[in-house]
Amino acid sequence: MIHFDQVSKRYEGGHEALSQLSFEVPTGEMAFVTGHSGAGKSTLLKLLGLIERPSHGTISMDGKSLAKIRRSGIPKWRRQLGMVFQDHRLLMERTVFANVELPLVIGGIAKPERARRVRAALEKVGLLAYERQLPATLSTGEQQRVGIARAIVARPTLLIADEPTGNLDPQLAVEIMGLFGEFQQIGTTVLIASHDLPLIKRMKKRVIVLDHGRLVADLAAQEVL
Amino acid sequence: MNTPSEAIHAPAPEAAPRNEHTRGRRLGSWREHHGWSAAASLRRLASRPLGTLLTVAVMGLALALPLAFYLLLGNVQKLGNALGQSQAISVFMQPGQTAQQAQMLAQQLGGRPEVAAVVVKTPQQGMDELAKMQGFSGAVQTLDDNPLPYVLQLQPRAEATAGALEQLVADVRTMRSVELVQDSGSWRQRLDALLGVGNRVVLVLASLLALAALLVVGNTVRVDIASRSEEIGVLLLVGASSAFVRRPYLYAGIWYGLFSGILAALLAVLIEFALAGPVAQLSQAYDGKLHVGGLPLWLLLAVPLAAAALGWLGARLVSAWQLRKLG
Repeated sequence: MIHFDQVSKRYEGGHEALSQLSFEVPTGEMAFVTGHSGAGKSTLLKLLGLIERPSHGTISMDGKSLAKIRRSGIPKWRRQLGMVFQDHRLLMERTVFANVELPLVIGGIAKPERARRVRAALEKVGLLAYERQLPATLSTGEQQRVGIARAIVARPTLLIADEPTGNLDPQLAVEIMGLFGEFQQIGTTVLIASHDLPLIKRMKKRVIVLDHGRLVADLAAQEVL
Repeated sequence: MNTPSEAIHAPAPEAAPRNEHTRGRRLGSWREHHGWSAAASLRRLASRPLGTLLTVAVMGLALALPLAFYLLLGNVQKLGNALGQSQAISVFMQPGQTAQQAQMLAQQLGGRPEVAAVVVKTPQQGMDELAKMQGFSGAVQTLDDNPLPYVLQLQPRAEATAGALEQLVADVRTMRSVELVQDSGSWRQRLDALLGVGNRVVLVLASLLALAALLVVGNTVRVDIASRSEEIGVLLLVGASSAFVRRPYLYAGIWYGLFSGILAALLAVLIEFALAGPVAQLSQAYDGKLHVGGLPLWLLLAVPLAAAALGWLGARLVSAWQLRKLG
């Protein structure tokens, strides 16, 4: 269970990205965070990834406050997350396989087990045949799928994605969202920041709507039309 | 794109992800990452040969300089010792002392640890030597009696310190049977003092140049980290610890240090060879008593290791600072 309690984030310079935000996401739920540009979607995900810390309020997961995680504990926290970025954040000098393998290497997984899991993740996103290629040789959509494979390979308890379909054509975007839906079905909590309203409506999942850092609507799946 | 969800679920025989590795597996993975980091950093160095060569050359020269001074000082010390062997202390006895008294004093002084040998010169031997000297033969012939005393020539041991010899001279001067002591070894004191200054200069120089080498490695690693800030950002986002991210850069520092240490040791050996010819000529001038002294093997082996440690330290300090900025 992710719990935001009166969370605010004010950046240096005074810009308030989030203001007194309170909501909960039960374990195993998939939810979209949407809103216009500058609404605070990315900031919300950054707070979950401990890339930023809230100025006020508390964020907790399964009852544990993220504020108690010290700087030295951040890597361990991030190893429980899967993060997908709009710009993929792939290592261009390493092969597709090596990119996906990265969280497992960091997590200290033995080599044979790593190979097994990487291939399973690549098969899942349909890129097993590309494992020896460099990301630069792949299309944008394929690169995004490599990023997703990397995010899921360590079996995270929480998957967060920031505009994962931003650069993709509509058909591919639907397929990617379908993948996230599958991860939810196997018990992973999925939180996706997106401003693609038609796609969000099509997925029929919970939607948290932000505007200027404030929560303006929290729609259950059945309320999304 | 494949759709079956079992693709992700299938390879998951273990119940909880965080409890699935044994300590042994983690250790194996840790070792594996060390191996990977060492090899990857070496490949990075090889991928930009000119930059690597320049860095190693600058560090190697910086480390070779104190070694060269150390070599020079060692040989000056040896030269001093070689010259010391030909410098005797002359003890002039009181006039009228007998041969027996001269032999007794010679035995007494010969028993001292800092004295290698004692040669007794009779007044007649002294007169003969004087007669052989140009311009003195006529004057010697005019003398009715031999006014020269017995003279003892003390040969100091090569390893005798300047302090010990000074004490010997002071002791002999207080003896009643002794008229005069001619100490030709005072130059040793000056040489020892100069060598002391030289040793200190070498120490200061070595410290400063080691600091310079540390800064060279630090700056190289800083540039390397800055050029890979994006990659480091990704690693941190997927849960890499600072130690994990830092490891390849620490190995890079070790390689830079090791290679420059090897270069410095090779340069020192080259300098040794370059000195060998002139020193051999100098040795001939001193009856072959002077031998060129090279750097000891332990030092030649220790220099690359110490340089590797220096490289590691430089990389460690800079990477910690850089990663704090990035993280």
